[in-house]
Amino acid sequence: MLVAEGRDHAPPGPSRSRSAGRRREALRPAADKVVAVAAVIAAWQLASWAGVIDTRSIASPAQIVGELVSFPGDPAFWSALGATLQGWAIGLVLSVAIALPVGLALGSSEIAYRSCRFTIDFLRTIPPVALVPLALLIYGATLEMKVVLVVLGACWPVLLQTMSGVHQVDPVSRETARSYRLDRARTIVWVVVPGASPFIATGVRIAATMALILTIGSELIGGAPGLGQQIGLAEVATDVSRMYALIVVCAALGVLVNAVLARAEGRVMSWHVSQTMRTRAHSA
Amino acid sequence: MARLADDAHPSPLRMIGRLGVEAWLPVALFVAWWVASDSSQSLYFPSLQTIVEAFGRTWLPAGITEHVLPSLGNLAAGFAIASALGVGLGLVLGLVRRLGAALSPILEFMRAVPAVALLPLGLLLLGIGSSMKIALIAYAAFWPILLTTVDGVRGIDATVQDVARSYRVPLRLRLTSVVLPGAAPQIMTGMRTSLSIGITVIVFSEMAGSTEGIGYAILQAQRGFRIAEMWAGMLALGIIGYLLNIAFRGLEHRVLRWNRAMHHTMLAARS
Repeated sequence: MLVAEGRDHAPPGPSRSRSAGRRREALRPAADKVVAVAAVIAAWQLASWAGVIDTRSIASPAQIVGELVSFPGDPAFWSALGATLQGWAIGLVLSVAIALPVGLALGSSEIAYRSCRFTIDFLRTIPPVALVPLALLIYGATLEMKVVLVVLGACWPVLLQTMSGVHQVDPVSRETARSYRLDRARTIVWVVVPGASPFIATGVRIAATMALILTIGSELIGGAPGLGQQIGLAEVATDVSRMYALIVVCAALGVLVNAVLARAEGRVMSWHVSQTMRTRAHSA
Repeated sequence: MARLADDAHPSPLRMIGRLGVEAWLPVALFVAWWVASDSSQSLYFPSLQTIVEAFGRTWLPAGITEHVLPSLGNLAAGFAIASALGVGLGLVLGLVRRLGAALSPILEFMRAVPAVALLPLGLLLLGIGSSMKIALIAYAAFWPILLTTVDGVRGIDATVQDVARSYRVPLRLRLTSVVLPGAAPQIMTGMRTSLSIGITVIVFSEMAGSTEGIGYAILQAQRGFRIAEMWAGMLALGIIGYLLNIAFRGLEHRVLRWNRAMHHTMLAARS
């Protein structure tokens, strides 16, 4: 008892100072981040100057920035960026348009779900890149080739997320819909889709990132116009700074797509009770 | 508990029924493909019979040693490196919160670099060969493991951490018996993502810069207009990917089982 009391009294000192530390920490993260980013870039630049890093294979930050600055005035860059975004957008929209209805259908029937499980698992594990040769044969190095590959890869996350979303729709609201004799179409529109929407949103976000990677990858291997093709060309021309600058652009696109969709997801889903579910799906 | 046991040992009859439900569609699809393509004259879509014959000819058994084993070896090496580095660094960044927060913009950016875009860089730095492929796989597979480990460590109940600290559990013991088990479900999720990314990257790198491997075999078949062999390669890839997934699911089940409580929260979280 005494020991327990002693232990009860002991913590306030350290814990108070720790909570003060936490408050300071809360003000600091932005500064911390800036310092960390600056430190990494500075170290990289110094290593390049000192010759520790061979600038013939790894460009210095200064070279990359110099190249990035030239992009806005470079028509080849804009048309490549446009081609990549076009392939990405069409592929993503098609993936959602195909996978969402199928997912809704498969998710609402236990038998259908279990019947398709093996087939979906099998098809899903074939990496879309494996189909590049076939797509190249059929379509050549074109937009269609990119879109087909994007759809083949990006439809799975939407499909799987929709299926599990439908699975976990609150049974009470389903029962309610049934007892109000809502017809099937209305039940789907007013009950199932809203209930499954956090899962669907996560699926779309994963698909968006995947679609971007697939677009760039198919451009790089397949030689269709776009940022991926530009990276390949820069490599062949051993224009290292341009290659890195293009890679930086691709990464920035990835960050942007993810940030915009995560934001939109948060806004669209703010009504949904399952805030915790959303964060869990995030980390998954 | 009862439900779990029931799931693990269903009656034989129910097992057959369950298998039937799962198996009828793949079988039907296979038969439909076989019948529909039987008299196919299409250059790009040969009959399934020729594909299966090509599969037997090129993949069993010669292709396994020539192409599958190198691919799997590189995948295993890259995945092992990514797991070791990802979990190790993830523990540090998860426990030292300030460091993790400060580095988060850099990590988010690095993660967004598509591994496929780094292929030219890999070729430039390491040339054609295993080390380039292993490095690329390790890079691509590293990020999901790192980020889920950080999330997993941060998600451990603060009380549990405080109790471990107040009992002055030494750091090493705290890592192995509190932090790692606590973060294990998240880490395994990251590893599963990484595995499928790794399969994609291995195929991709073999297509772009290699003289062996499954991706190389598929691309060579396409370049030589041996279309049936190309299809056979894609089939082989599907089978390998599926088997790897099953193997990983088994591993995950084992790893997460030794902490029964954690397993239950996982089940609750999934349903």
